[in-house]
Amino acid sequence: MSVAVPPANADVAVEPPAERERFQSLRRLLRQPAAAVALTVLALLVLLVVLAPLVGRYDPTEVAPRDQLQGPSAMHWFGTDELGRDLYSRIVWGGRLALGIAVAATAIAMLLGTLWGGIAAMRGGLVDEILMRIVDGIMSIPIILTALILVAAFGASVTSLALILGLLHVPVTARMVRSAILVERHTEYCVAATAAGASWWRLLRREILPNTTPTLLVQASLNAASIILTEAALSFVGLGIQPPDATWGTLLQQGYAKIYTAYWFVIFPGLFIFITIWALNVLADQLQVVLDPREAHR
Amino acid sequence: MMRFVIRRVAVSVLMLWLASVVIFVTLRVIPGDPIAARGTLPGFTAEQMAQLRHELGLDRSILAQYLDWMSGVLRGDFGQSFFSDFSTTELIATRIVPSVELALMATLVGLLIAVPAAVAIALRPHSWLDRVLSSGAAGGMAVPPFWLGILLVAFLSIELGWFPTRGYVPFVEDPLENLRFVALPAVTMGVVVAAPVLRFLRAALLDVTRSDFVRTAEGKGLLWHEAVVRHALPNALMPTLTFVGMVVGSMLGGIVVIEYVFGWPGLGALAVDSVGKRDYAVLQGVVLLAAAAFVLTSLVVDLLSVVIDPRLRDQMST
Repeated sequence: MSVAVPPANADVAVEPPAERERFQSLRRLLRQPAAAVALTVLALLVLLVVLAPLVGRYDPTEVAPRDQLQGPSAMHWFGTDELGRDLYSRIVWGGRLALGIAVAATAIAMLLGTLWGGIAAMRGGLVDEILMRIVDGIMSIPIILTALILVAAFGASVTSLALILGLLHVPVTARMVRSAILVERHTEYCVAATAAGASWWRLLRREILPNTTPTLLVQASLNAASIILTEAALSFVGLGIQPPDATWGTLLQQGYAKIYTAYWFVIFPGLFIFITIWALNVLADQLQVVLDPREAHR
Repeated sequence: MMRFVIRRVAVSVLMLWLASVVIFVTLRVIPGDPIAARGTLPGFTAEQMAQLRHELGLDRSILAQYLDWMSGVLRGDFGQSFFSDFSTTELIATRIVPSVELALMATLVGLLIAVPAAVAIALRPHSWLDRVLSSGAAGGMAVPPFWLGILLVAFLSIELGWFPTRGYVPFVEDPLENLRFVALPAVTMGVVVAAPVLRFLRAALLDVTRSDFVRTAEGKGLLWHEAVVRHALPNALMPTLTFVGMVVGSMLGGIVVIEYVFGWPGLGALAVDSVGKRDYAVLQGVVLLAAAAFVLTSLVVDLLSVVIDPRLRDQMST
């Protein structure tokens, strides 16, 4: 049996893509008008919720019985709820919770999903088979159902929501990361690194993951969108964030109960969920366009 | 071909079995069991609770409980509800028809929106119509379904009074009323299906319309719309079929919340109910059915693709 011998000059012939190239793709991203709009929207939303104490205008929990269910006005931009609380303030503070949960959960999903998919792709064989069949099994159950069950069991605090939603997005992340790594794994620089004696763990950490960063960003963006939607759905059916705290989903539920008397109540919280998810989707799309220039000509 | 079918079915069975294990273990491992939830009521002694637990079989090992459940499910018996006097099978049986009707109608509405829209785009790509429809698709992918449902209720039901706000009438009782009730939830979920399918089909169609055989067809004297509809569309629909399967599979989760919005007496509403009561017996049945629907959808779509596309069939035999 013969053993494949790597060419003697392997280390000269192949080099991982240069550092500069990665920033180039980010610069190309910003040149896409749609991406610029999406990033601006996201930046504004983040600013809004981070600066909530400054831009909130009213205390979101301050009850004013005489002002209940007022329509939008100069005093109350988005109107008031059934207890006279200012809806704009409640949406700003609710966004703080919704986006906070989304950021934490996305971080968890990306971290564990990358680890899971990374190990599956790098180890291959039986390990890969077992890890990916577990992913298949979990992914055949709709996320919202599992989320309902886990949230009912572990409570609906901000921490447990972030943990549960994060964990539930690990399988989809693992699947995507695995296929991205498999593409990269057989490129020359990886073969060279292996030949030079790099362990799979080092190869993954030092060579492959840095080069799949853009793909990971796409997935992070999609995860965040899905997490925001799922959290809103849970809160909407009354199993997520509980009053007096409220995320956009909770507000939507309260508005739905008052739909006959206060139509504006349901418009604004939903609008914020919509805009956030739209921006995240567009960002993911545009990232993909930048990564795969063939897409741009469609 | 036969080998492919057998292997594909085997994979589906394996996936479903894995899902059943995940469901069962999750429901047994999480804190809070139905008896403890009931134990907060006054008048229940520790002995009575132990007795109840024993009657429901909750004191046996997880493996024994799982085997018991599985052997029941395989015979079509989902076990006894912990709370309701009905068996889980009966509860599911009354809820499954509305859910399936909603899912089918939503898929139908989704395709009726997506396919004509994609064809219209392919006739004049990059026109203003393309821009409008493509932005619409991007909006449809971002809109929270339950918000869209609420907006439709607010304007079409409450403002204009065209549709009932919520509820359900069985089709066998009054077909017309049934359609009036299913309209809004079906349109809501239909948009959720249509948006990604439109995007996918648009890309596939634009790809195919650039290929040689479509140009040949046009060169032979066909009008452009004939070439698109007769030659390009069937070829673009092929890969789209698999994609539709994925979209419909993921729509099943969204139906849970839509049923809640429209007071639709389906499996999703049953699931939300059972979650609150910790009624494992009902929950595990409903969740297993959802997983089965997902697995079955992708199986059917995969097999259909092979049946329709001769190229795939050739690949199978080599």
